[in-house]
Amino acid sequence: MPTTPELSTTPGELSPPSGGRLANFRLIPRIETYSAVVSFAQTLPGKLALLAVFALGLAYNHRPWGPLVFCLALITFLPDRRRILLTVSTLVFTFLVPWSGFSNPLYVATLICLTILLGALLFWSVARWPRSWYGRRAVLLFLSGFAALVVFAAKTPRDAWFGRLLWDFTIMLSTYIWFIGYSLLDAKTASHDAFKLQLGSYRPFWGSTDTPFAKGASYLRRIEARSPEQLAVTRLKGVKLLAWASLISFFSDIYQHYVYGSFRIPTYSQALSLSASHVPPPWYLCWASLIANFFGGIISLSILGHTIIACCRMAGFNALRNTYRPLSSRTVAEFFNRYYFYFKELLVDFFFYPTFLRYFKKHYKLRLVASIFAAACFGNAFYHFSRDLNLVHSVGLARALQGFQVYLFYCFALATAISISQLRRRGPAPSGFIRGQLLPSFCVVFVYCLLDVFGATERNYPLVEHFRFFARLFNLNM
Amino acid sequence: MDGVEEIRVFLKKLLALRADRQPFSDQSSLFLSGRLGSVDAVEVVVLLEEKFGIDFTETGFDQVQIDSIDAIQSLIRTANVSK
Repeated sequence: MPTTPELSTTPGELSPPSGGRLANFRLIPRIETYSAVVSFAQTLPGKLALLAVFALGLAYNHRPWGPLVFCLALITFLPDRRRILLTVSTLVFTFLVPWSGFSNPLYVATLICLTILLGALLFWSVARWPRSWYGRRAVLLFLSGFAALVVFAAKTPRDAWFGRLLWDFTIMLSTYIWFIGYSLLDAKTASHDAFKLQLGSYRPFWGSTDTPFAKGASYLRRIEARSPEQLAVTRLKGVKLLAWASLISFFSDIYQHYVYGSFRIPTYSQALSLSASHVPPPWYLCWASLIANFFGGIISLSILGHTIIACCRMAGFNALRNTYRPLSSRTVAEFFNRYYFYFKELLVDFFFYPTFLRYFKKHYKLRLVASIFAAACFGNAFYHFSRDLNLVHSVGLARALQGFQVYLFYCFALATAISISQLRRRGPAPSGFIRGQLLPSFCVVFVYCLLDVFGATERNYPLVEHFRFFARLFNLNM
Repeated sequence: MDGVEEIRVFLKKLLALRADRQPFSDQSSLFLSGRLGSVDAVEVVVLLEEKFGIDFTETGFDQVQIDSIDAIQSLIRTANVSK
């Protein structure tokens, strides 16, 4: 069984639609396919040149590049020790790099150690007894235990030291749950990595949100470069991706300047706030704010994802992009895949597959819809609620849940839209640019713009205010 | 049509739906390389359940098990042995 994709024969990205000369035009040339460049990238001057160019790119994108490039240099010159160096670098970036920024360094470091210790204990238990009752339900039990911990911590008075410690630990654990989850999934397999290598994927040094970028150790093991040539190709693709991030970042500055400066389009938050104050902007400005918010979201996520994946590739892991041509999506489900790939993968791995493989096996449509709702509705809501636990701290569990109603509605609407998209019979794209590409893409953007009315994770306004804004888009006053 | 050929045709159809007409060998990575996605994985799972009687609740599921035709063949063999 092959354990790694062949770099020379696979596109390395989600496959692009076929097209003519215009579709094949590339702003940044495919330098990883030029044999002279690949050969040069394997030499000492080539490796140093790539690191220098990468450092420049990071500096342009306002990323602290010193420690990052140092770690990448270590991994570059000691490729045989890549995985263990990944763990060392991740620990450096977990403890040492942010040390001076911690409000109480020893306390925070203790909380992180406790979290890692819990992860190690759970991992060891699953690896030891993979076929036991616990081993087969490890992720489910872990996530349920975490939810119970949140309730318990929220109900424990925080005046005493125990209450504060419990709450701080819960918050710290919330930033690691999906990383621990991926290591538990890996622990069940026969070929799993030891915990010291799993640790390298716990908020890896190349950066991450609460969503594990490049998933867990199991995925890293499979996409790791296996030869000097593969490594050179992967690193060249990393430099290229950072160049993309820099270009988009440059474009983003112009976008912000014109859209919110010269054209004075209100941000979505401002438009919603005006609508809630009963002085709504005209309907066309509501649309403009929503569309600007939608494209702004794609731009900022692309910059973030490209920068992180570029670092990951520079470390020798041929990870897929996080955001890849979202506007070329022809269905709602395809957009969800192309917009935030690793978040979608998280929902699929932790919620979709477990539901799909276990329930309603004799009823395909019900099975599919139930799995989509488990992922895009329940999983999505669970992820965002646990991500924003500070809200529970400030307003209490009951009010935090109440404030979550808008996002819950968004999750429900999103799952419904994806279900409809998936249940419709898939077929080849109609011919012609307008019917085959432009019209479906326009419909997808339209649906997601409407969903975005409810997708904002700020909790300032009740659901009814979002519906009022929604009606305003169609020049209706509620 | 034998089982492997049926899988080959099925995968080719899935790739075509993504407008991917590049050739692929029995060793080509299809999921980890991003040529096919999780939605396609679901269709492959259903095919393997229906045609080959594989129960993933028993064996556990990982996309790497269906990443290439060789991997699928190996999965089918393992499932048959354990029956």
